[in-house]
Amino acid sequence: MSNTLSRRDFLKLSGLGAAVSAVLTGCGPMARYIVRKPYTSMPEYNQTGLSTYYASTCRECPAGCGIIVRTKEGRAITIEGNPQHPVNRGRLCSRGVTAQQGLYNPDRIRGPVFQARGDAGRAKAITWDEALNVVQQALASSPDQIAFLLGAAPDHLFDLVSEMTATLGAPAPVRYNALTTFEGRTTLLEAARLTFGEETLPYFDLANADVTFAFGANFLENWLSPVAYTRAYGEFRQGRPTRRGYLVVFEARQSLTAGNADEWIPIRPGSEAILAAVFNRLVAEARGKPVSPAFSTVTVSAAAAASGVSEEKIRQLAQLFAAASHPLAIPGGSALAQADGLMTARSLLYLNAVVENLGQPGGVFLTPAQVAATDFAAVKELVRRMTDSKVKVLFIHGVNPLFELPGALGFGEALAKVPLVISFASFPDETALASDYILPDHTPLESFGYQRVLAGSDRPAYSSFQPVVVPLYDTRATADVLLAAVKQLGMAAAQAFPYKDEVEYIQQKLLPLIEAGGFYTAPEIFTFWSRWLQYGGWWKPQAELSAPRQAVPPEEAFPFTPPVELEEGKQFYLITFPNHFGDGSGANRPWLQELPDWMTTVTWNSWVEIHPKTAEELGLHDDDVVRISTPFGFVEASVYRYPAIRPDTIAIPFGQGHTALGRWAEGRGCNPAQVLPTTTNAAGDLTFGSVVATILPTGKRRPLARVESKEGIYGEH
Amino acid sequence: MAEQKAPQKWGLVVDLDRCTGCNACIAACSMENNIPFVGEDEVAYGRGLYWLYNKREWRGEYPEIKPAFEPVMCQQCGNAPCEPVCPVFASVHSEEEQINLAVYNRCVGTRYCANNCPYHARQFNYFDYELPEPMNSYLNPDVTVRRRGVMEKCTFCVQRIVRGRQKAAAEGREVEDGEIQPACVQACPAGALVFGDVSNPESKASQMARNQRRYQLLEELGTLPRVTYLKGGGRYGG
Amino acid sequence: MKQPKPWWQQPGFRVGIALVLLILLGGAVSAVYLTQIPPEQPIAFPHNRHVGLGAPCAYCHPGTAWGPNAGLPGIDKCWGCHQQVQKKSPELEKLAAYVANNQPIPWVPVAIQPEFVHFNHQPHVSAGIACETCHGDMTKMTVAEPQPRQNMGWCLSCHQKMAPEQWTKLSDCATCHY
Repeated sequence: MSNTLSRRDFLKLSGLGAAVSAVLTGCGPMARYIVRKPYTSMPEYNQTGLSTYYASTCRECPAGCGIIVRTKEGRAITIEGNPQHPVNRGRLCSRGVTAQQGLYNPDRIRGPVFQARGDAGRAKAITWDEALNVVQQALASSPDQIAFLLGAAPDHLFDLVSEMTATLGAPAPVRYNALTTFEGRTTLLEAARLTFGEETLPYFDLANADVTFAFGANFLENWLSPVAYTRAYGEFRQGRPTRRGYLVVFEARQSLTAGNADEWIPIRPGSEAILAAVFNRLVAEARGKPVSPAFSTVTVSAAAAASGVSEEKIRQLAQLFAAASHPLAIPGGSALAQADGLMTARSLLYLNAVVENLGQPGGVFLTPAQVAATDFAAVKELVRRMTDSKVKVLFIHGVNPLFELPGALGFGEALAKVPLVISFASFPDETALASDYILPDHTPLESFGYQRVLAGSDRPAYSSFQPVVVPLYDTRATADVLLAAVKQLGMAAAQAFPYKDEVEYIQQKLLPLIEAGGFYTAPEIFTFWSRWLQYGGWWKPQAELSAPRQAVPPEEAFPFTPPVELEEGKQFYLITFPNHFGDGSGANRPWLQELPDWMTTVTWNSWVEIHPKTAEELGLHDDDVVRISTPFGFVEASVYRYPAIRPDTIAIPFGQGHTALGRWAEGRGCNPAQVLPTTTNAAGDLTFGSVVATILPTGKRRPLARVESKEGIYGEH
Repeated sequence: MAEQKAPQKWGLVVDLDRCTGCNACIAACSMENNIPFVGEDEVAYGRGLYWLYNKREWRGEYPEIKPAFEPVMCQQCGNAPCEPVCPVFASVHSEEEQINLAVYNRCVGTRYCANNCPYHARQFNYFDYELPEPMNSYLNPDVTVRRRGVMEKCTFCVQRIVRGRQKAAAEGREVEDGEIQPACVQACPAGALVFGDVSNPESKASQMARNQRRYQLLEELGTLPRVTYLKGGGRYGG
Repeated sequence: MKQPKPWWQQPGFRVGIALVLLILLGGAVSAVYLTQIPPEQPIAFPHNRHVGLGAPCAYCHPGTAWGPNAGLPGIDKCWGCHQQVQKKSPELEKLAAYVANNQPIPWVPVAIQPEFVHFNHQPHVSAGIACETCHGDMTKMTVAEPQPRQNMGWCLSCHQKMAPEQWTKLSDCATCHY
């Protein structure tokens, strides 16, 4: 044998080694490592090897889209749209299809805890019996010192709490959701009340319109019912063989909606009202109608000067609108978040009356649901009562006020003055961690309920919730907790709520629907209930919305608030806009984090959008970290040079910047709520649209993970 | 209309005039196909696993500027550049479905196919991305979970195609037009995506693909893509 | 002067490497062997007796009729008969214990597909393929035994015997691999 190991031998040896390790590690079925446990008794709805589908309602935002959840062996696999549902007709948005990441989120709260306001030394898990006693004692305190803060969805819990507070003599529940602020929902409701005489949300028939003016209404992203409006947008573009709709969007920062528009008119923030008024005048004149007194004194030159749009352009657009056979004007979003926001909304709603599209195809209808407003002013009032120590017990469900409310409102300090704070959060969000007790509710895919469908449906509709999986953890439906606590209270309160549990309460609320002419009916509630769960809700068989009976223009000439004058090159209008994180609760869904932003393709972080020309003047480059300061606070974020924004405007997305909410949300980006004001417009909505900010370079650099470069942005690797 | 030189079956039509760029397709695709999220740093390295990505391009100059969106998935080329370069036959053509397949257990990770793909449609698993308990509960049992070192790409949701075909066969009928929908098509809120059998001239996808707005990505390369785009009608290009 | 032998020629090293190789080879052989013997089941279920008595396979494995998985019977299926038909046997006492505790029986599946293979029973059953074609003659087994050499070539050899116009579909990768 030779002294050296020949190359040939070496190859032989290594070949043998590779073969041996292949046999050991890879090949052959690994049967004996798998155990399969069949059902002890197979549920009747389950068939071996086949998926079971459940109809329910998406609760990632308050729009109320119908979903079908595909489950297999008790696991929720995929979420699909419910093709029958009048809101979304089988379609869904990115938030809806990733809702399983909430259900199976590893950071969920797994049982009731005494949280002790984040004091880890005293925090301890408690039992539901102890929790019930806490809730019962809380409800037994003096009624005027109890407060409920709920989310924006008009669901069964809101109805139950409303009835409960009425019975107890406590103040009605306050509702808040950052999205309703970004939608300008209160302003829209108030404008509808003043213009149409009814306080309901208007339904804009975008699908049949041919020229649409949208002022700030970002209906392709978040506004009211984005899936319904995106569906309508598709029809608006290509649904008709001969006509293609023409969309014009007026806003300072190009949103996704404006990006899809045929014309984006970058107006100066704060000039929406005068522009809406001048369109009223020009369109009325073009159509040979009398001009309402409120608009007769507005001049095109004044509107042009305020908005920065040329007179010629304004006249041309007004002509386009007046000449269209199905024109439609949509007010919403940042346009209403100005001092004159209510006037903007009223003018634009009345503009629809000027072109006589009320109740016409491609026009404005009224949704049936009577909604109690989710009023920022009411939240402000609650904070004032809390600060004055007039609130002894605060229940919080479905909202994360410490994150969503402007920091300047001082909710955190007010919360410290409330002796007992009980949160029903499913996730360890900022507010839950600052509360005394967390009594976790089931997540949406584990719970029963209903939601009155608000803005996206062309007919009266109720959407049903049902559990698609058995609750994963020791959580309990908040409605059940409240019902049980009220029962323990005894006395009159208990008699007012004789329901065994949440389901019985829901069924009782559904009783009127049996005879209400839906697309199915039933002889009694239990049959009705099974169909209700099967179809994912109840709605009318045909489109059925009422037309506004009247349209009242604003009474008299309006003293328009001029846009804030800026110190050029130093001060900038600051726009805060929501993206696919919605109200910020989407930030703990890793796939939503990974999903590129529509316009910038940034993932996993916050950014500040600055016009490239402005950035050049300030000496800023992409990824430079800057400090954005307003009189109310400051945030820091990386620069994204955004070509579709006014050079005097900057913008920050809402939804990141969590200090809690689990591993994927925490410590990521910045929360622009910290720089928002607390001022309100005449309708009581937050005027987040007229903030002036300054930019200060920090000298730091933090690259943003953008998908627009397929090669990656970290350079060579 | 370019003359098709290869047999074809499944096709996808993307109407860019309806597409708003909302990215619901990406999210639906990821949840259906067990696609892992990779985290901020990996995305920044260009390693994001998007089987379907939305190509956003700025068109025009301020103030007449707008983004042009173009959702790009595997084009399922009839004459696919990724196929001949694979040394281990992990990128093969399905004769029955007329799509390109990624054979994960053959793949050795040379990434030649990705380099040769003109559409950036193929993604590489640089690491094993484990989902923390209990998040792995939502994994779709119909789709193989890929491990590191493996190339992957859009399959036109072949698991749904096979399931739809087997269901129709069990019921003794042909597959109906529109019965089989990939996850992206099913989710698309604007109805911009239409999927169907383009070998049947009567299917909705075939009818739409005959539109005068039609074009295909890099048509001139002769890859015979199965995805047809319909131009947007916007003012600034598109 | 005699050169010291290089390290790979030292007898110690050679013995060592031989030992390592032997262990690896032994491991490989035993691994191959282990995959070919029936795994230990929680209950030594006598298939031969049940099939011999005329119980159709689909009675306990009904999923074959409509879906991908045949399914394993749970205690309610077993106990449905065995609370009437009982003979004293240690295996039936195990069953009775599972039923009494309402515990699922932790069966170890024998015929399973490796990763990246998706098998659907339904088309095969509809095509009239008998169960024993793939699962062996159950009248001769107590617990189910893995069938040797069931690889892709074996699948394809059977698919090849089907109608020639089906060959494209039946030989297509995407039919089973996705």
